[in-house]
Amino acid sequence: MADGFFNVEDFVQSILSQLDRVQDALRLKAVNRPLTYALKDISLDFHVFAELDPQGNVRFRPASSNESGASTLKLGFTTITRPMIEENTVSLAATRSPRIDELGLSPDEVKRLESVGVRTAAQLNRLQSVAGSSTVSRWANVDSTRLKDVLNRARPVVDRVQVQPGPAVPPRVVPRPAPVPAPPAPPPVSRPPISAQPAPPPRPAPIVRPPIDFGPKKPIETQPAFEPQAPVPRQRIRLVGRNLMLGEDAPGAKFNDVPVSITRALDDELEVELPHDATSGTLELSFGDDDVHSIELELAPASVDATTPAMWNGDPWAPGGGT
Amino acid sequence: MAVPVLAETLLALIESLDAAPGTGVVVTSMELEVPLEATASIERGDLVIRAGVPHTRWVSGVLPPVHKGKLVVELVEEPSTHGEES
Repeated sequence: MADGFFNVEDFVQSILSQLDRVQDALRLKAVNRPLTYALKDISLDFHVFAELDPQGNVRFRPASSNESGASTLKLGFTTITRPMIEENTVSLAATRSPRIDELGLSPDEVKRLESVGVRTAAQLNRLQSVAGSSTVSRWANVDSTRLKDVLNRARPVVDRVQVQPGPAVPPRVVPRPAPVPAPPAPPPVSRPPISAQPAPPPRPAPIVRPPIDFGPKKPIETQPAFEPQAPVPRQRIRLVGRNLMLGEDAPGAKFNDVPVSITRALDDELEVELPHDATSGTLELSFGDDDVHSIELELAPASVDATTPAMWNGDPWAPGGGT
Repeated sequence: MAVPVLAETLLALIESLDAAPGTGVVVTSMELEVPLEATASIERGDLVIRAGVPHTRWVSGVLPPVHKGKLVVELVEEPSTHGEES
């Protein structure tokens, strides 16, 4: 930059930081005022001299006093919404992948791959899984053997497998059986009232009617009570490695040919949730059409007995007296 | 006098939109084409764009070239940052 020329990226970034400063100042002003102005669009025409450096970068130098023949660089900036940003930019997950210049490529090869939109190992993996390595090699003008070597380095690798306890799952609630209704109490014995007055003349004997049979007495249906049950333990497998993301997407995972969910996906770490009763089997990670990693797993049986909740052990108030 | 940074010039231009108090006039939007004398230089390791309005409308050989800037400014309401105190 000593010669006064600047990369386009630096030039645009410098203007963007100034525009951010304007928007921040206007937003601060809005704290005490109900209405404020926002800079919606701005376009700038700069008189610059352009040059191409030996590395193939286009660089600009603003025109100085009394210099004629400058080009006009028209820059337009507008405000966009968050969905527009997410649609038009690379996600943060994709940028966690190592850059292609860390894979042992020469600067020229890096530049040629960047010209086909590849900046990270994850993007290279994704492009070769979609278009094939020969197509990438042809378009980027990178030797196929060299590209294969780089692709091998950019391939997903699992270095370590760890079994880790699952998170505390909210206790399941199971309905208890309805309580057995108590036997019906005998009817109260009716006694004649005590009276100091002379006894009235005897009444005629009451007519005794047979009781109406309503059928067998059913127990009253009550709302089922709930009692907590022990958390259902889940087995989580943590896979540590590199290049474990397919661009922005997590790989597919199957355990013994049954799809399982990936609860955490980073470029250097995956967390797979296995069924509770899984003891051994094959975990398959699918990174594209023809890149499947198989990992044989031998798991210890679940240590928590779901029928005896651990929380009740030694609790004298627990059912069974905590024995 | 040093040329201000681009942000300060833009803020000053936007500030100029406020109508005189008591007139009841509210400017809701503005499109402004303004000539700017812009320079780019490295300051403390960063590329800084400085741009100010031209010193004069006369063209001379000693002043920086005049670039053109076009601003579109709109009035916006900030519902999340005001109104709680009233």
